[in-house]
Amino acid sequence: MSKRAEVVENTNIIKKTAGDRTFDFINYTILVLILFIILYPLWLIVISSVSDAREVLAGHVFLYPIGLTFDSYTEILGYRTLWTGYRNTLFYTLAGTTISVISTMMAAYASSRKFLGKGLVNFYFVFTMFFNGGLIPTFLTMRDLGLYDNVWIMIIAGAISVWNLMIARTYVTNSIPGEMYEASMIDGANHFQVFFRIVLPLSKTIIAVLIVYYGVQRWNDYFTGLIYLRNRMLLPLQTYLKEILASLQSTSNLIDQMDSYTIQDSVEALQRAEAAKYSIIVISTVPMIVLYIIMQKYFVEGVMIGSLKG
Amino acid sequence: MNARIRRSGANKKTLGQFLLTHLKNDWQIYVLLLPAILYFFFVHYLPMYGIQIAFRDYKAVYGITESPWVGLKHFRNFFGSYYWKRLFANTLLLNIYGLIAGFPIPILIAILLNQTNSKKFKSFTQTVIYVPHFISTVVLAGMIYIFLSPTNGIINHLLTSMGRNSIYFMAESRWFRPIYIITGIWQNAGWDSILYIAALTGIDPQLYEAATIDGANKLQKIRYIDLPSLVPIITMLLVLNCGQLLGSNTEKALLFQTPGNIDTSDVLGVYVYTMGLGGGQFSYTAAIGLCLNVISFIMIILVNTLVRRMNGSSLF
Repeated sequence: MSKRAEVVENTNIIKKTAGDRTFDFINYTILVLILFIILYPLWLIVISSVSDAREVLAGHVFLYPIGLTFDSYTEILGYRTLWTGYRNTLFYTLAGTTISVISTMMAAYASSRKFLGKGLVNFYFVFTMFFNGGLIPTFLTMRDLGLYDNVWIMIIAGAISVWNLMIARTYVTNSIPGEMYEASMIDGANHFQVFFRIVLPLSKTIIAVLIVYYGVQRWNDYFTGLIYLRNRMLLPLQTYLKEILASLQSTSNLIDQMDSYTIQDSVEALQRAEAAKYSIIVISTVPMIVLYIIMQKYFVEGVMIGSLKG
Repeated sequence: MNARIRRSGANKKTLGQFLLTHLKNDWQIYVLLLPAILYFFFVHYLPMYGIQIAFRDYKAVYGITESPWVGLKHFRNFFGSYYWKRLFANTLLLNIYGLIAGFPIPILIAILLNQTNSKKFKSFTQTVIYVPHFISTVVLAGMIYIFLSPTNGIINHLLTSMGRNSIYFMAESRWFRPIYIITGIWQNAGWDSILYIAALTGIDPQLYEAATIDGANKLQKIRYIDLPSLVPIITMLLVLNCGQLLGSNTEKALLFQTPGNIDTSDVLGVYVYTMGLGGGQFSYTAAIGLCLNVISFIMIILVNTLVRRMNGSSLF
């Protein structure tokens, strides 16, 4: 060991008191425990989805897959409704997120500049955080507007969140220097040009954050479909997911009540149903986790800048 | 006399000019704001106008504005009913227990993370703790039903292997609140720590260095540097949460509700949903919704004033 390294190590030892070392030990223990609590349920779902259904039912699968098989995934390929929901949700998420991100960025830039009525417009946005019409008046209003059982309700409901708008505005205010606007205004650029040529290119980080926020909200939205949609061809993934999970639940309850070991067919049906639950959960959750991991690079930074009050 | 006329004339001119120049400069700003303004008008403000059905007897043929007035009939019906106390108690208790159990955890996570020395470990942990937030309520409910299944769920396998009887968690009233709150913490504690982590990252490192030189240990740094710098955010979130004490995550409560646990899982949001949209009692449930809205609004302002008197920092 070189002398220099020794010195560094020594100063480290001096710096750390016994109390701090105990603290570090407890700190890491708690954090590792938290990581375990978060990851274990997810891990359990994944390993159960690729294990032999009989082993899962018997409660043998809890650390690693047993009897590795992808049968449950081939089984759900035949679930027609699931794929209808998947297709619908894909559309709602793509179209909805695009509209949400664009209109939020437009409003974020505009409300960060000086203009007549700025205070009024900000109040108009923020007030909706503290007071709203409530479920029933909102439902009746949307129905009067012709949005009941209409594809557009899935795009329009929740299109702009005040919270996201404020985060985006804070980001734009903090990260784009005012001199830049002045310079481009002197060069004769108007607000549209400034927005498209300066603000959008400089806001990649916050746009990534907005895509994640809005994308997840759309993908996971169950309530809007439940309230407004009746046409089964329009229902989103989450509604079908709920139906399938509930029906599989009742299959297994039904079979619980029978003397299942004498009825071979039921046992097999139960096993298939049981295995399908896990793979359905995996299939419907993976896209959002992947989106998050892709955007993760921007994510932490963007959220930090956006959430710090300027 | 002349001067006054001239001045008022000049004023008028400037006001007109003032508006004109602003419109000339700002019309593009208004265009950029237009989608958001329209959205909030149709999806938030128009429904506020629709609140009037709480004082009418809504009939589809007459619509929102033409149905007959009935005054406070629906409010009297609700507060005269057998259910309202149970609904209020269930909702309040669920939220208060949830706040007590759940509120400190994101703060704890942020402080612990901030004190880790390894950058790699910190960013890994930060990535992982946000993941549950990306899981839908439907999937969360599905997972809970699977894990807590009385016959083949992992929890009951564990119980029976320890020689205990298995418990049908989802069909027992006393288990609803713990399950609802713990799953909420699992799903959101990491996510909710973002704001605190951001605040802690913003602390000047020189503060820690000075504290080290003065001989402060980590616990003292947390006590005297971290916690004080979190107070504004803690205050803000506490105020917002107090405004939500009668609110409910209807979607989640609906998915976790079973005939067995209805004694505790029947919360206001679910009642409004089932009686209103399921039972078609639009005016009656709109009246309940309005009560909740007004109470939340008053609470948030009360708590905010209280907090401002106490420590000078408040939400608005």
